[in-house]
Amino acid sequence: MFTIPALLFLGVFVFYPLINNIVYSFQSFTLSSATKEWVGLKNYQTLLSDGVIFTSIMNNIRYAIVSIIIQVGFGLVLAAVLEDVAFRRIAPALRSIYFIPTILSMTVVCLLFEFVYNPQMGLLNSFLEAVGLDGLTKVWLGSKKTAMYSVIAVSQWQSTGYIAMLFIVAIQKIPRDLYEAAEVDGASKITRFFYITVPQVRQMFFVTMILTVSGAFTVFNEPYILTGGGPGTATMVLSLHMYQTGFIKNNMGYASTIAILIFVITAVLSSVQFFSFGKKEEDA
Amino acid sequence: MKLRKVTALALTAAMTAAALSACSGGNSGGETATTAAAAEAETTAAADAGAEAETEAAPAADGEQVVINFFHRWPNDPKNTMFKNLIQEYMDENPNVTINMDCILNDEYKEKIRMVVSTDEVPDIFSSWSGTFAQEMIDSGNVSTLTDMFEEDTEWSGKIAKASIGGFTFDGEIYGVPWSQDGKAFFYNKKIFEENNLEVPTTWNDFIAVLDALQAAGYETPLVEGLMDNWAILHYLGTMNQRMLDPEVLAKDYDPATGEFTDPAYVDVLEKWQQLTSYMGDVCVAIDHETARNTYFATGEAPIMYLQFAEITLLEQSVPEDFEYGFFNFPAFEEGKGDPNALTGAPEGFMISNKTQYPEECRKFLKWLVSEKGGAALTTESGDLSSVDGAVDETNGLPAHLEAMEVINSASELAPWFDNACDAAVYTVYGQGAQAIAVGDETPESVMTMVQEAAASLH
Repeated sequence: MFTIPALLFLGVFVFYPLINNIVYSFQSFTLSSATKEWVGLKNYQTLLSDGVIFTSIMNNIRYAIVSIIIQVGFGLVLAAVLEDVAFRRIAPALRSIYFIPTILSMTVVCLLFEFVYNPQMGLLNSFLEAVGLDGLTKVWLGSKKTAMYSVIAVSQWQSTGYIAMLFIVAIQKIPRDLYEAAEVDGASKITRFFYITVPQVRQMFFVTMILTVSGAFTVFNEPYILTGGGPGTATMVLSLHMYQTGFIKNNMGYASTIAILIFVITAVLSSVQFFSFGKKEEDA
Repeated sequence: MKLRKVTALALTAAMTAAALSACSGGNSGGETATTAAAAEAETTAAADAGAEAETEAAPAADGEQVVINFFHRWPNDPKNTMFKNLIQEYMDENPNVTINMDCILNDEYKEKIRMVVSTDEVPDIFSSWSGTFAQEMIDSGNVSTLTDMFEEDTEWSGKIAKASIGGFTFDGEIYGVPWSQDGKAFFYNKKIFEENNLEVPTTWNDFIAVLDALQAAGYETPLVEGLMDNWAILHYLGTMNQRMLDPEVLAKDYDPATGEFTDPAYVDVLEKWQQLTSYMGDVCVAIDHETARNTYFATGEAPIMYLQFAEITLLEQSVPEDFEYGFFNFPAFEEGKGDPNALTGAPEGFMISNKTQYPEECRKFLKWLVSEKGGAALTTESGDLSSVDGAVDETNGLPAHLEAMEVINSASELAPWFDNACDAAVYTVYGQGAQAIAVGDETPESVMTMVQEAAASLH
């Protein structure tokens, strides 16, 4: 009974818009139109023939893969290193330093990186020139080859510290005697990492996977501020495509259809992860 | 166990949805904040005015209190302060009138006015672009025709630029009062042109010859533009299409109901665009318009840039003292079928809702605002060109403003901005495609195929 307020809240702010959105995806209307016209499956047909959708999904997948490797993979290693005895002394300071990017506003971070990536005066190219790597200087955000990865890199810089922090909390909960026992048995640090740390933080691993993957498929701020989806549609992602379709091309019906696609993708991915991890839990 | 899974799934869904809505939420949050702040400032101002009005109006007491809601798209200074001062002055002169000003910036303004214009919440007076945007507002059925307002008072309406009124005329009826006008021309660095004995080009081939000469003289980017800004690209394409295409073909293609974009001249235009971008260097694709203007054109590193007259004041702030610049209209294409004397540009103005309680008071206020007085304030305080003839002269405008007025007045017609001339579904694809051409990812032919598909999807 005490869950009623929460359910009501969810109903009004999550499920009602969700159902409305499904209805909208079968209609054609603009922001100012007085009536909504029923168009059946037309929006879904457009979805299948829209080349930008394919580009966007590929970019979201790139985002997800890099995010899993860097944020979850590297984040875990970082956490383990920081929790190691050898770093006991400077760990608190390092933890704060790695966490700082997380508390900065995404907009600020993006504007900062616009300067970093600036081809003429930017930090990155200047650095490459200073160390004699002139050949590697690039028009980072202006070329199809580098633009998407440059955008992805910004998110990694910002979020890895956060994920690492989550892992640190998980690692701190691991009973010390496990490590001590392993040490007595002669296990090396690396063996201990793989046989104690990794299995013990599996729960947190699951949480961070959901966070990064659903984050990767709903990413909006970084490409919106850094490139606006350009050059061309090279850095277009699903949510940005949805926004542009709805609020710039003024085609709200089709934008709702794209929203449904995003919802389906994230829901499927989340449930796959949920059930696979949930199962292992029961086996253990 | 099962229940737990379901709850967790629901939560995941909720999380996703929250993340989804975060993007739009962030936007509207900011908007509300600005609006609220503006509204607050307004209420205080209005309250002050109200107090004053009460004392002054008490003896007069000749009429009811009139409240006019005025909504525009300039929350940033200097225009915001300018409007506040003008409105304050008007309210002091007319104690029975209270004007509630509300404003939000461009894109959000577009979104909000689109949402409210078809409802009863439509503001009494609101600002509008000309062309398709005006058409969209009128289609809501809530915009009042103002033809009689122009006919009744010819002394007032005679001073308003004819070309600008044209931007608000649909099927012979006038729907808006033009307030400012703007045009786009190539700004060039006079000193560099003199040093290299170059003359202002009038045809495309001359223009290319000038660019080649400048490149030979050591200017890496003889022409500069911030290609990260799609709108800047669209300004080029709009003008180039207008110059190249048969006006009838263009009118047919820009109409969402009949657009096909199959004329081979569209490919020619994009090929010429490709040629132009080859003079812009590698950096242009990674900078925005402001950077191009402030760090390339204003420093003399790039001698030519395609700028709006509205940017004169901004440019003046960043150029060194001895910097001299002039303008020339986009050169004519030798094989072009469009009018080479047209100028790409457009007026902006105000519309009155036909749901307003006080149509007469709204008209009176607009006549007062769109006058030599308001026009002079607009040009001197914010640097925009007024649509009122005689509002700007040697005493209150910069020489560049006067020259710009001349360019506008000598143009045979004002050709609308590309993004006011055709549907967003078409120009978005056009802009992204042209950007991809500049970085070498697409060809003119492949872009036109995408444009044709986008145009066909609107039928």
